[in-house]
Parts: sequence; structure tokens; C-alpha cells
Amino acid sequence: MHPPLAPGTLLFRVAVAALLLALVMFLCSLAGPQAISLKAALSGPASPTTPNPDYEILLHVRVPRVILAALVGAALAAAGVTFQALLRNPLADPYILGISSGAGLGAILAVLSGFGWTLWGRSPIAVFAFLGALGTVWLVWGIGRITGRHHVTGLLLAGVVVNAFLSAVILFLVSIARSQQFYATMFWLMGNMTEEDLHVLWIGGGCIAAGIVGLFFLSPQLNVISIGHRDARSIGIAVERVQLAAFAVSALITAVAVSLSGLIGFVGLVVPHAVRLVFGPDHRQLLPLSSLVGAMFLVVADTAARVVVAPAQLPVGVVTAMIGGPFFLILLIRYSRKVYSPA
Amino acid sequence: MTKWWLLLSALALWVVSGYALVQPREVDAEPASADRQRPNRIVSLAPNLTEILFALGLGQSVVGVTQDSDYPPAAADRPKVGTFWQPSVEAVIATRPDLIVTLAFEQQKDLARRLGRMGYDNLVVDIESVGDLFRAVDAVGQAAGAGAEARELNESIRAQVRRVQTAAAGARKVKVLWVVQREPLRVAGRDTFINEMIGLAGGENAIGSTLYKYPPIGAEEVIAAGPEVIIEPTMAKDATDLREQAMSHWRRFPNVPAVRDERIYVIDGNLVSRLGPRLPAGIEAIARCLRPELFGE
Repeated sequence: MHPPLAPGTLLFRVAVAALLLALVMFLCSLAGPQAISLKAALSGPASPTTPNPDYEILLHVRVPRVILAALVGAALAAAGVTFQALLRNPLADPYILGISSGAGLGAILAVLSGFGWTLWGRSPIAVFAFLGALGTVWLVWGIGRITGRHHVTGLLLAGVVVNAFLSAVILFLVSIARSQQFYATMFWLMGNMTEEDLHVLWIGGGCIAAGIVGLFFLSPQLNVISIGHRDARSIGIAVERVQLAAFAVSALITAVAVSLSGLIGFVGLVVPHAVRLVFGPDHRQLLPLSSLVGAMFLVVADTAARVVVAPAQLPVGVVTAMIGGPFFLILLIRYSRKVYSPA
Repeated sequence: MTKWWLLLSALALWVVSGYALVQPREVDAEPASADRQRPNRIVSLAPNLTEILFALGLGQSVVGVTQDSDYPPAAADRPKVGTFWQPSVEAVIATRPDLIVTLAFEQQKDLARRLGRMGYDNLVVDIESVGDLFRAVDAVGQAAGAGAEARELNESIRAQVRRVQTAAAGARKVKVLWVVQREPLRVAGRDTFINEMIGLAGGENAIGSTLYKYPPIGAEEVIAAGPEVIIEPTMAKDATDLREQAMSHWRRFPNVPAVRDERIYVIDGNLVSRLGPRLPAGIEAIARCLRPELFGE
């Protein structure tokens, strides 16, 4: 089994993971459908009349997109860790309480409405998806509170049913959409990474980073809650308050992530499990490490999505599942043997 | 609790400094103006836009097209900038364009917006109906400094359409079922440009108005609609086997007039799926299916 966590070890591991993330982000911003030279790119934007394509591609297309992938990956992985702890369910992921279908419904309504405005650089799809995600979580949370304060089954079931219902509404709306609207929605539902403006990354990144720090504050309590509510209460933890805070924060960062990049599956499910298998279940470590690994994973997956069928691109949600699935199975087989074998 | 307040104030500070430091870049809302220099590096993001550009005599200036731009043949050798549904912003930038022409649906509008923020000139045109096509030709001509050519092209398209229309005009409109997809069955509804083309070719859509653009329909609807002609567009190069397949598929409805009279046609999808300068050819292809006798077949 994993030894108890020393603060020095935690700090060291987080620092190494952060360095690795920086390296991965640097390498991935050099890869893309167009071959660019770093030297030419760093020589500046040239004159206003003759643009320098290398500079434009690196600074205005790739770097923002790599940063976006890192932010979204970190948010989804951190939210996944929290949902798995709170619901005490290994199948939990950030979308389990209806966020995905709520956001999807918002997105397709925005596409069908044909609105052309932007709200501080965000398209109607992003705004509607954000509102849909939060609205649905609020609804599911409300139903969960009615069905039972002290167990999570009601919450889970409410999440599953709301998800199924809203998915049916989405399918209906997709079926009446024009083919162009249909494709726009489908690509969004499979994960839609684009380069974003600096201010979007700034605000989104701030919200996500603050959310992850907040969840880290809660991680000692999450350790106890993930074992059982009764134990938690018996040692004096205000279970309801911690639950509410953790749910609210992780729902918020998931909604931010979804409004930035569409629905990207698998990161929030697999990364927490992988990190837990390798480094152990202590949430004080699981949370920061999963965020960094989630960021790395999504940066790599998105680079693959950009490069493999260039100049077209794959939906990044497809790539996360295709890389993540087999990789996770290998980890599962290797480490569960180590953990559970009698020797 | 203090650490939470600290966290919230840090976030608030970050957001406020964000407003101060990084303003959203102004989107250049003003479309490519007519009086500026004639663009000589144009990227087209849809096959019908490519056809329009070439028909306006701007083929030499086209430096990037999507993978499905295969007409005119010269367009196929131009550098590819991704697919119609997912154009690559990097590939567009690498062509160093001075005008980017896109359609108005979500992905393309979004790409145009992103490129616009980086300072590239772009033109977004909406081509959903025959009327839109003429407006789009004018808009492209204006933006590319080929206004006179655009008027000429529009005139010639109108004249050709009128010629086909006159030739195909009959006492009675032929009822057509336009099959987009056989299984599950989806057909063209009333609110489509295909519907317009059928009308111009002297026919009438066998399907009435529905909620759907391309309604999925059942066997009952096929029989009730009683089409006299069934048309299936195909993207395949060789359509001979496809006609056989179509015949054997539709034989399950022996009482439908089109099946009884063996009037089932498979036609070149490229002619009828792109609203572009080849519109008259598309209408003629449909008219030949509706009244083969008028076209000497």
C-alpha cells in the first residue's frame, strides 16, 4: 500500500508534475498541421503589410489553444476527483450530475436560435452552455436534497434521469436541425477546442485556478467523506456544508471548462483513477496531481487531434477516449495486481 | 474561513486586473470594402464559393480551398485548408490570404470571426436559397473587385435558368420525392433549395410542409404522397449499379406511380447539392428526370 503522505513528498511531486506540464506545453505548441520554425516565429510580427505566418500561427493559434487545453484538462480532472469522493462512486465524472446534457441543450438552442451577438468575446453557444450546465446541476441538486439529505443515491439517480431526459430533448432538436446546424452541434458535443482570446483565457484560467485551490482547501475533509458520511460526522465534520461547497465549486469549474471547449469526456473519469492507482488515495495529493496530469493529458490529446488528420482535425473528445481507455486499462491491470496481491 | 476570503479576493483582483490589462481585441466589423486594393490571395472555404470565384475569373487569385472543392478541375490543385466542416485556421494563415470567403453557418462564421480578430479581411455569405446565390455572387464580386463580372455572371445564370424553365414548363407539375437518405428514409422538405430547384424544373415536392427541413418519413407517407418520380442524388462517381439498387429497394412500394412506371433516377449529387454557378445544369438534370421526352430521350 501507499505510505502516508509527507508534506515534502507532496511538494516535490507537484513541482515535478508542474515542470513536466510546462515541458509538454512547450513541445506541443511546436507541433501542428503547418511546419513552423521557432526562430522565424520569434522574430516578431514583421511589418503590418506583410504578415509573418509563423509568428501568427505560434502566438495567435497554438499557444492560446495549448493553454486552453491545459486549463480545461485541469478543471475536469479536479472536478472528477471531487465528484468521485463526494458520491463515493468510482464511475462518477464531472458530467454525472447532468452538466453535459444541460450544456449540450444550451449549445444546441444557441445554434438553432442563430444568434450572432458575442458577450465579451464569448459566442452564444458558450454562454448558453454555461447557463445550461449550471441550471441543470442546480435542478439535480435540488431534487437530490428532496429525496434524501444523507445518502447520495437520490442525487445520482436524479442526475442519471435528468441526463437521459435532456439527451432525448437534444436528439429531438438535432433531428429537426438543418444539416449545417446538426454538424455544428455534433462537433461541439464531441469537444471543440479553438484558440481563444487572451482575456477569455485570463478570466477562465483565474476561475479554474481559484476553484482548484478551493477544492484543495477541502481535501482533508474529502478524505474522510470519501470513506463514509457517518464516520465523517462522528469526528466533527460538517458533512452537508463541505458537500455543498465542494459540489458548487466543482460544478462551477466544470461549467467554465464546458463553456470554453464543449464536452470532452474521459479526462474527468480516467485521470483521477490513474493518479490514485499510482500515487495513492490521499486527496491532498490526488487533487493537485490530478489537475496537473489532466492538463498534460488534454494538451497531448488535443495536439494529436490537431495533427493526426491534418489539415482537418479530430474531435478532441474522441482522442481522449482512444488514448485514455487503453492506457487506463494497462494501469488498472498493473497496479491492482500490486495493491491487492497477498505478497 | 480567512483562507476562503483570501482566495475570493485574489480571484476578484485577478479578474479586475484582467479587465484593466487585457481588453478583448476589437473585431473588425466592417466587411472588406469595395474601394480598396483588389485582393490577390483569396481563400475559399466551401466548394460552391470556389465555383463562384472561378466563374468570376478570379481563379488565379485563389490560394486555398477546402478538400471537397473539385470543380472546376483547376480548383482541385489549390492548397487545401481543411474540410468544409472543419477548416484549419493554421492552414488558412499559412496561405497568407488577403480575403477569406466563408459561408454563414456556425463553424465557418466562427472561423471568420477568429481570423477577423487577427486582422484578416473576410466575407461571410449566406447561401440557403436561389435568391441568396445571386446576392452572394454580388457580394463576392464587390469584395474581390469584380463587380462587373458578378453582374454578368448573375445575368447569365438567370438567362440559363429561364431557358431550362421554359423548356421544362408543362401543363401539370410532376410530383417528385427527393430522397436524401434511404435507410432510415429522409427526403427533402419544402423549406429547402432542392424544393426551389424542383419547382424551377417544372415539378412539385410530393411532401407537404413539415417541421423538418429534411423530414424522416415512413412507408405510409411514401404511399400517401404518391410521387410520380423518385430522385436519389449520389456522390458516387459511377451511378449505373446504384440505379439497379434503387429500383430493387423501391419495388417494395409497387403501387407508387414512380415505381410502377419505373421512374426512379440516380443523379450526380454535386450538381444539385451546391448552390453555385452550375445551378442551371442542376435544374436541367432534374428537368430531364421529370420530362425526359422534352429533352429528346
